[in-house]
Amino acid sequence: MYGWIWRHLPGNAWVKALISLVLALAIVFLLFQYVFPWAEPLLPFNDVTVDQGMGAAQQMGAVR
Amino acid sequence: MTATGQDADACRVEDTEASEASSSTPPPPPPRKARRRIAAVVSVIGELLITAGVVMGLFVAYSLWWTNVLADRAAHHQGDRVRQHWAKAKSPEQKELDTKDGIGFLHVPAMKNGEVLVKKGTSSKVLNDGVAGYYTDPVKSALPQDKTGNFTLAAHRDGHGAKFHNIDKLKKGDAVVYESQDTWYVYKVFATLPETSKYDVGVLEKTPKESGKRKPGRYITLTTCTPVYTSTYRYIVWGELVRTEKVDADRTPPKELR
Repeated sequence: MYGWIWRHLPGNAWVKALISLVLALAIVFLLFQYVFPWAEPLLPFNDVTVDQGMGAAQQMGAVR
Repeated sequence: MTATGQDADACRVEDTEASEASSSTPPPPPPRKARRRIAAVVSVIGELLITAGVVMGLFVAYSLWWTNVLADRAAHHQGDRVRQHWAKAKSPEQKELDTKDGIGFLHVPAMKNGEVLVKKGTSSKVLNDGVAGYYTDPVKSALPQDKTGNFTLAAHRDGHGAKFHNIDKLKKGDAVVYESQDTWYVYKVFATLPETSKYDVGVLEKTPKESGKRKPGRYITLTTCTPVYTSTYRYIVWGELVRTEKVDADRTPPKELR
């Protein structure tokens, strides 16, 4: 997969390395900016409040 | 390693005379193309697994570091706004301030985390800005100036400012000071509950019976999640108001904070 991408990048090894770095940073940015903030409330690591068990499933979404 | 190498060599030789070779050797080795395809699939799966590992590592960095950076920035910004607000509205008639930016600051010397802005509500949107929120639901919090009641707060243990990270450092008798525009409210911790169910809303009651209190009083309750890095249980700390102090012109902190 990565080999395939490497072979399809234009330029010599230096240019390829630079493009790869930019691509990697862009992916990290997308993850931090959009993917992780979306995923975080779906994961059970950050609930700090107490709330009623009844309807917890709906409530949790708002209280997390 | 050597065996596969030999196999590959054998394959290459057999390619030219495939029909004869396959009849002489009982288990025919898989053709080179198929084998190469399998190797490609295996390597893609491997690369995907490595990628998944890296992404999870990045998520840990995001949760425990980057959200703190963002939250501290937001909390400072909002805290500054509240202080500016207070500085402008000097007259006591104007002390009814809007609760949008926050109502005051919590100082807990034992937690060694400076001042924590207190805002209304405990939704993730509020708490993710690195503040402590007072409950509006399921049990409505009292405010410090109320005659009796329980001032109930929640904040993150990890990430998003991690304002209550050191809640386990609080012991009986430790000071919890709440600063409003014109008053310092000095509370003393009288009970802690290191582990309780996340559905234990009783801890938020006006007179929290689980703390051992039976009579109405002016209480403060801090809630966060425990153990650290998880949300399995809740950690509760209760305090009781011991005195209030008027804020002077220099906002000299009470002796507990000096």
